[in-house]
Amino acid sequence: MLQATNLTKKYGNFTALNSLNLSVNEGEIFCLLGANGAGKSTTINLFLNFIEPTDGTASIQSMDVTKHAKETKQMLSYIPENLMLYPNLTGLENLDFFCGLGGKSYEKEQLVELLQQSGLQPDFIHKRVGKYSKGMRQKVGIALARARQASVLLLDEPTSGLDPKASNEFSELLLDMKEKGVATLMATHDLFRAKDTGTHIGIMKEGELIEQFASADVSFQDLEKLYLKHMHN
Amino acid sequence: MQQLLIIIKKEIIIALREKLVLVLGGIMVLLLGIALYAGFLSYQQQQTIITQKQAEKREEWLHQGDKHPHIAAHYGTFVFKPKTVLSLFDFGLDAFTGTSIYLEAHHQHEFMFRPAQDHSSMIRFGELSATLVLKVLIPLLIIFLSFNAYTRERESGTLKLLISQGISFGTLSWGKILAYCTILTIILSPFLIGLLLFSWVGNPSQAMPDETLRLVLLTLAYGVYLFLFISFSVWVSLRSSTGRNALLILLSSWIFLTILMPKTVVNLSKSLYTLPSMREFKEAIEQGKVYGLDGKTPRSERIASLEKRLLEEYKVDSVHQLPFNFEGVKMQDGEEYTHKVYDHHFGKIKETFHRQNRLSSFASLINPFLSVQNLSMAFSGTDMYTFLHFEEQVETYRREMIRKMNNDMAENSKYGEFFEYAAGRDLWEELEDFSYQPPTVGELLQQYRLELASLFIWTALFLLLINYTNRKMKPLHG
Repeated sequence: MLQATNLTKKYGNFTALNSLNLSVNEGEIFCLLGANGAGKSTTINLFLNFIEPTDGTASIQSMDVTKHAKETKQMLSYIPENLMLYPNLTGLENLDFFCGLGGKSYEKEQLVELLQQSGLQPDFIHKRVGKYSKGMRQKVGIALARARQASVLLLDEPTSGLDPKASNEFSELLLDMKEKGVATLMATHDLFRAKDTGTHIGIMKEGELIEQFASADVSFQDLEKLYLKHMHN
Repeated sequence: MQQLLIIIKKEIIIALREKLVLVLGGIMVLLLGIALYAGFLSYQQQQTIITQKQAEKREEWLHQGDKHPHIAAHYGTFVFKPKTVLSLFDFGLDAFTGTSIYLEAHHQHEFMFRPAQDHSSMIRFGELSATLVLKVLIPLLIIFLSFNAYTRERESGTLKLLISQGISFGTLSWGKILAYCTILTIILSPFLIGLLLFSWVGNPSQAMPDETLRLVLLTLAYGVYLFLFISFSVWVSLRSSTGRNALLILLSSWIFLTILMPKTVVNLSKSLYTLPSMREFKEAIEQGKVYGLDGKTPRSERIASLEKRLLEEYKVDSVHQLPFNFEGVKMQDGEEYTHKVYDHHFGKIKETFHRQNRLSSFASLINPFLSVQNLSMAFSGTDMYTFLHFEEQVETYRREMIRKMNNDMAENSKYGEFFEYAAGRDLWEELEDFSYQPPTVGELLQQYRLELASLFIWTALFLLLINYTNRKMKPLHG
């Protein structure tokens, strides 16, 4: 579903990402762990075609994202660390707007249902997003991903700054989407969330994917030790 | 197309929920309303006075009683520059050029009753008129409406979310541009409807037969000008990293385009192409009349030469023996020489005006504000070209009036008998009432071709620039 082949991004002499190879299949959640500047967000941005790769390819459903920007974007949904919506529009209006842009048309009642399923309190559905907390905005993002019926989910530290309850709800929603066959690539600092939600984990350091394994193959303690070992070396 | 409509709708909803946009939009609607109403009242008042005075002066001419034609030529009459209904929209140079002129023998008078004479020097900064609001203030509204079209999306992070939906920068930019065009149309609609209504109420056909076409062209010219400002603002926002930078660039450009450059062009044209003072101008004309254009042919010599030529031509010894009143022919000959003197000196003045205007036309290739300023005055009939065109027709009329009086004197009276001869109403009626035929739209388009080219070139340039930038743009640098 998601494939990075020798994916490289350089800014002058600085290598932000060096020859990354990874794949994420249907129903998998691949969590990228790493310190700031490890190359996690660069990877996500390359899959989104927000930046051009220096070398290699990022592909979705075997389509190079730089050559098939429109087609590949129609398959994905993206939730950044801090999902920003239009503060002067309500949650419902924001969802309607972004769904429309993606070519999906829903009745108002269906959109309300999607927002409720994503955990947004009914009282807030018709309120302007300017009054939303970060967790509420992330839930609109999840509703959008559901509404778009995305087969690929790209998440850039989506639970950063969320309270434990909101973070937990978010993980549940991810697992729900995983069950529906969505391939998810998530950049995160949260080891616990990666172990808890991810099917695969990759550790990145200085633009390189230095280790990747199935989540089930390690315990949380082992993961923590492994991560700290790499960070200290 | 669907995406474009969705973007337009979203931008309009967001803009209408912004207090700043609502307040500024409301102020513009109010200012345009006041300017339009004040313009209409002023137009109506002046038009009523002009129509009334023109009729009064005509009656005075016709009922001046029996008198010698030359006395009638000095008694003279007045003609008035008709107000065009579109002058309620753009006062143009009317405040500076004057509205009426006294016509008499021997003298080509200057225009009188210039409203600018009754105002302080502040009038040079512009009266509140619809054109001032449209040319200067609406672009300011556009800047506040659109400076953060992209920067806010970029700074808040919504741009990444938008682009991740598969929308192109092209669709986004055009969606924003068309949304701002729609918002502006909403703000300007009451004014446009008001202008149309006032045009009908104002009985336009009297002064300007092609008024509807002029109104359409005015709307088009302003439409293109405001579209250019919107495109420019969105493009600057697209290229800027922060809203602050975009606002700074746009406000600096606004000051340069609408205030600094127009004033500089006026000052430069005045310095490069200097007009003589009124005293110098009048002195030169008097010198020309008395001593001839070459300074060596005094009036007495010219009269002697005419007398000699006529005596030879009619083979007589004295002007008393001529089959016409020599006095009348002498008057007309003197008048025709005076025409040459006026044509010579006014020609130089007109050439200077022409050069000054040409500089402004060339400058409009750099600044579309100057294009729309010149086109606006032209279509409203308040520009220098129309004024000179009117002045030319008035002078032709004056010359015809004097020629008729002199010819009548030559044909019907005897030499040496001045007070014995008196013409009457039949002669006064021979002179038709003055009726001004303004330049056609075709003539104006030809005259202002550089301004039209400027709007066309800038539109094409912006379309290319926006499309090029859209293609090259990425939500993140790198």
